[in-house]
Amino acid sequence: MSYEIALPVVLVAVAIAFIALMIEKDDLHRLLLTDLAEITGLAIIALVATDLAEALILPGLVVGISELMALSEVYLVKEGLTETPKRVMHLEVMDSAPAILGGVLVIYGIVLSGFSGGAVAGLGLLFWFFCKGHDEAFEIIETASGYSWALWIAAFFIFMLAPQYWLFAVMAAGGGILLKVMAKMALVGTMRGGRDV
Amino acid sequence: MFDLPIEGAELLAVEFGDIVNYFSVYTAVLFVFALLFTVLAIISRPEKPVDIVFGGDAYYAKKIPPEQLRFQRFMAIACGLATLGAMISGDLFNFTLFSSMIGITNIGIVAAVKNKHVLEAAYQYGIVAMVATVPLFGGAAIALATTGTLSIWELAGAGAVPLLAKMLLVVGVMGEGMAPFYIGKAEITRAPGAPYVLMIHVSSLLLFLRVVEIALTV
Repeated sequence: MSYEIALPVVLVAVAIAFIALMIEKDDLHRLLLTDLAEITGLAIIALVATDLAEALILPGLVVGISELMALSEVYLVKEGLTETPKRVMHLEVMDSAPAILGGVLVIYGIVLSGFSGGAVAGLGLLFWFFCKGHDEAFEIIETASGYSWALWIAAFFIFMLAPQYWLFAVMAAGGGILLKVMAKMALVGTMRGGRDV
Repeated sequence: MFDLPIEGAELLAVEFGDIVNYFSVYTAVLFVFALLFTVLAIISRPEKPVDIVFGGDAYYAKKIPPEQLRFQRFMAIACGLATLGAMISGDLFNFTLFSSMIGITNIGIVAAVKNKHVLEAAYQYGIVAMVATVPLFGGAAIALATTGTLSIWELAGAGAVPLLAKMLLVVGVMGEGMAPFYIGKAEITRAPGAPYVLMIHVSSLLLFLRVVEIALTV
């Protein structure tokens, strides 16, 4: 019953997004508005409200993001925006906060462990690298990422071959994926343009 | 489902649980066509466009840089693979994903050309292709919500999918496979790099034929 009520509401939202796209003439603003329209499309899927719908939202989101990235690249080339900015973003908080915030996030991430813990701890490292800059950090992070991935795979083999050691395998997999996700996200923090990227 | 007039005889059905990818006479013909053009994109050499100077004997021979050639060929092959998938997919949502992949690769084929007008066309087409994912996914989601399944195999002949969902699917495919219709305004065909530009036309034509089959089947 609620589906019959919610669907027209979402369709109205879709219509609003499309009307906004029609009215807007600036290319960059239209690019942003397409993302808005995309989100309303995901809302139609979300209305199904089953596990399957959840599984369908993810590819929908990936398609949307990849199209957005492709179009952004086309926009940059089209407008000839190839020079890297001379002055990257710099705020007061970026001098004072990174040690505390990064530390808290990393420790909390380690407490959480697993995928979500990796995301939280990675966010802390991302913030640290983004504020403090980076030199030569790539190789260490890449090495740690590689070893943690191997640990994660090894844990799966323990699950399959020696299930009685499941606790050890859970710990290894949780730690491995923690490091892996953390390393991945930390690399994002080092992407500030310039010679290293 | 093979008693429906559009399908023709069953040739092969590949089962993955309730999702059945099938080759009927209709989809098999489309599949072979897509395969043919994918092979052509792999083996053929690119054309070398020549501009004749008006009112004289002189001409300019344009050179295509190897990076552009390589990128366009990769995108054309990816587009061919996405088309192959869309032709035989037995799942409504997979079909929409393959369609949007065709849209992305089409943008890639066009956007490889570093010409302001061509890039402008690619950008505008890309916005249409991006927005078209809304009706595509919306159509598949409404079909799922009303029938409880996405399998074309199970939905075939039942007529359970509402007209709104079918219309949204067709509108979405029109957006993804829009490139050939955009030509009237745009500079896409003037972009050097046949036969890769050809892949845009082939993929959207086949996509249209497939969505007609789906709309008549489910």
